[in-house]
Amino acid sequence: MKKLLAWLLWLWMSLVILGAFLYAPLAKGFIGESSRILFFHVPMAWVSFVGFIAAAVWSARYLFFGRDPRHDRAAAVAIELGLVFGVLATVTGALWARIMWGAYWNWDPRQTSLLVSLLFYAAYLALRAAVDDRETRGRLSAAYALLGLVVTPFLYWVVPRITYSLHPDPVVNAQGKVEMEARMQHVLYASGIGFAALFFWIHNLQCRVQALLDRKSAL
Amino acid sequence: MRHSASTWVAEAAAVFMKEWRCEFRTRYSLNTLALFAFTTLVVVSFSLGPLGVSLSKGTALLPVLLWITLLFSVAAGLPRAFVQEEETQTAMALRLAATPSALFCGKLLYGLTLVFALEALVTPVYVAMTSLAIASPGLLVVVLAAGGYGLAVGSTLVAAIIAQARTKGTLFSVLAFPVLLPLLVLAVELTRVAASGTAPDVALPQLLLYDAVVTVAGLMLFPVVWNP
Repeated sequence: MKKLLAWLLWLWMSLVILGAFLYAPLAKGFIGESSRILFFHVPMAWVSFVGFIAAAVWSARYLFFGRDPRHDRAAAVAIELGLVFGVLATVTGALWARIMWGAYWNWDPRQTSLLVSLLFYAAYLALRAAVDDRETRGRLSAAYALLGLVVTPFLYWVVPRITYSLHPDPVVNAQGKVEMEARMQHVLYASGIGFAALFFWIHNLQCRVQALLDRKSAL
Repeated sequence: MRHSASTWVAEAAAVFMKEWRCEFRTRYSLNTLALFAFTTLVVVSFSLGPLGVSLSKGTALLPVLLWITLLFSVAAGLPRAFVQEEETQTAMALRLAATPSALFCGKLLYGLTLVFALEALVTPVYVAMTSLAIASPGLLVVVLAAGGYGLAVGSTLVAAIIAQARTKGTLFSVLAFPVLLPLLVLAVELTRVAASGTAPDVALPQLLLYDAVVTVAGLMLFPVVWNP
């Protein structure tokens, strides 16, 4: 059954890739084929945020509902994967920005908020690496993840300020008003579902690997 | 908690008094911190050049450097509040002696007085050295108070987290800066407003909301961070 699901995911992602290049039309006003990066870049950014929220949920369960080591592992793995997907989203976004806006980095609100959340992920992992005792590590990192969740919403107020005060860029505003054709939407949402499934599949595998490693080190 | 309100206040006050008594016993660390803040300030002001920056660029640039100086000084001084308890192995006695929320408030109060003292030392000298014109000093005081409180409360919680880890010094900056980033941006924005003399916009309520949210998070998370 699990093997079948993995094959289904492979089939789904293959269709998404084909759809992104063959089925979806090019968006108007974009240079060359650059708009096709949307179908991979945007879902990866979504999944990166999903990883952050999932990690916060698992951290809360670990802290306040019975200190189950599985929840601690699940939170840590979600942050690791969130970091991987976040870096990929940042790099693909920077490549696209180079083509469209002429610079890899523009302090666009979305670039900035993703960058700050990447700092959070990295700090979380640095904290975990600096604590040896398993119980202490779980407790401290879960508290930090929840602190991060509480503070992050302020970025939605704060980040537009940075952009406005330092880099007034009309392209950024126009970007928010992209009207998407139906066929592009199909591929984008299918890709979103595919990447989310990919995230949870890798998450499940990685949690099992971590559980085995923990058991090995406990022996 | 079965403690009554008066014992809670007494506990928090006792923690606060203990912190300052320890500081004044050695005084060495306090002097070093004041010197650190002052040296950073001189380095920043001097790096801008003896001529300073033009007035129009000054209102945009100088508030940023002021808050960076304050942030670095806080990062140099505040983590000690908890790191010291672990190093001198007094943490366990403290766990037995005070309720976590009272302890957090006592430590926060200590951090707050420390941050306010740093601000009182750094800001006037910085304003004088860089000839930053302040159009509305009242607003600047409010921003320093609200921003300083945010720095203190965020740093106190992160200090409690890193005290139980290895590599404490660098880890504090790594963990605290992402948390303090929204506060820093709002404080810089409001300092610019205070310098230019325009009416403050929604940034001030947002800064106060940040303070309130991090305080509540600190009170909820501190007991689980503190007690094994």
